[in-house]
Amino acid sequence: MDKKEGATMKNKVVPTIKLYDYLLVPIQIELDDNTVERLQMQILHEIHEKEVRGIIIDVSMVDVIDSYISFVLSETAGMAKAMGCYVVICGIQPQVALTLSQMGIKLKDIITAQSLEDAINILDKLE
Amino acid sequence: MNPQDYDIVLKIKDESDIAVSRQMAKNFAQKMDFSLADVTKIATAVSELARNIYRYAKEGYIYIRKKEGGSEKAPAIEILACDRGPGIENVELAISGGYTTSERSLGLGLAGIRRLMDSFHIESEVGKGTVVIVEKRRRVF
Ligand SMILES: Nc1ncnc2c1ncn2[C@@H]1O[C@H](COP(=O)(O)OP(=O)(O)OP(=O)(O)O)[C@@H](O)[C@H]1O
Ligand SMILES: [Mg+2]
Repeated sequence: MDKKEGATMKNKVVPTIKLYDYLLVPIQIELDDNTVERLQMQILHEIHEKEVRGIIIDVSMVDVIDSYISFVLSETAGMAKAMGCYVVICGIQPQVALTLSQMGIKLKDIITAQSLEDAINILDKLE
Repeated sequence: MNPQDYDIVLKIKDESDIAVSRQMAKNFAQKMDFSLADVTKIATAVSELARNIYRYAKEGYIYIRKKEGGSEKAPAIEILACDRGPGIENVELAISGGYTTSERSLGLGLAGIRRLMDSFHIESEVGKGTVVIVEKRRRVF
């Protein structure tokens, strides 16, 4: 690991895993506003640094997604798209999906998948 | 309104208070035996209310209590959010959905809360502040 990468690792909000050309982002912490904003920065940096062609955000551990978190996730996906990278969200809990749909919130620019395997299949087809 | 009538009082002042209030609401709703779907809806509604306080009024309070439903009826959860912030000029517009005065927002907080809960009341006066009261009844087992 070189020095530059070491420095960015320290600012990481969520540890990520590189999988083929994809970056797996498993969210296992509470998404407060500050965290979700830092996560956005981290993802954009990692796309740039690691030449990632697809991002998979695993939200199976996230039990509340409200309108601002939704907005930031969509915004991140839009930015990633501009960088030539698709964002897939997988593992959204059924009650979270129900709440979002009842609120009329749509995850713009985001592809949704049921599982990690599903997400990889979708990304493979998009290439 | 008497704060002593409530089971939980949350002061919203810092950004981190949003996530804390969300968790507190979730735990309380779980203890009241709400279904998982309703626990999520309640926690999400509280998250929206707390963020509005933090964003627009800088600080305020969220009160939560259990309301007994009487002999035959199931209990309900009541959430009251209040602040002495700038108030809302056009309440109808603010709760209609898609309206926002924030730059990075969907403007779906209040409209969303209204759809998630069984009852929704809002009172706001420019220069005075805003009060939102919502309720959700537990289903009868
Ligand atoms: N407590 C409050 N004090 C003053 N103005 C408020 C308050 N709550 C909401 N508003 C006003 O009502 C508008 C709509 O609120 P709402 O929560 O529906 O959406 P938002 O906060 O703009 O975006 P989102 O909640 O989707 O992130 C806000 O943009 C703001 O102008
Ligand atoms: Mg809001």
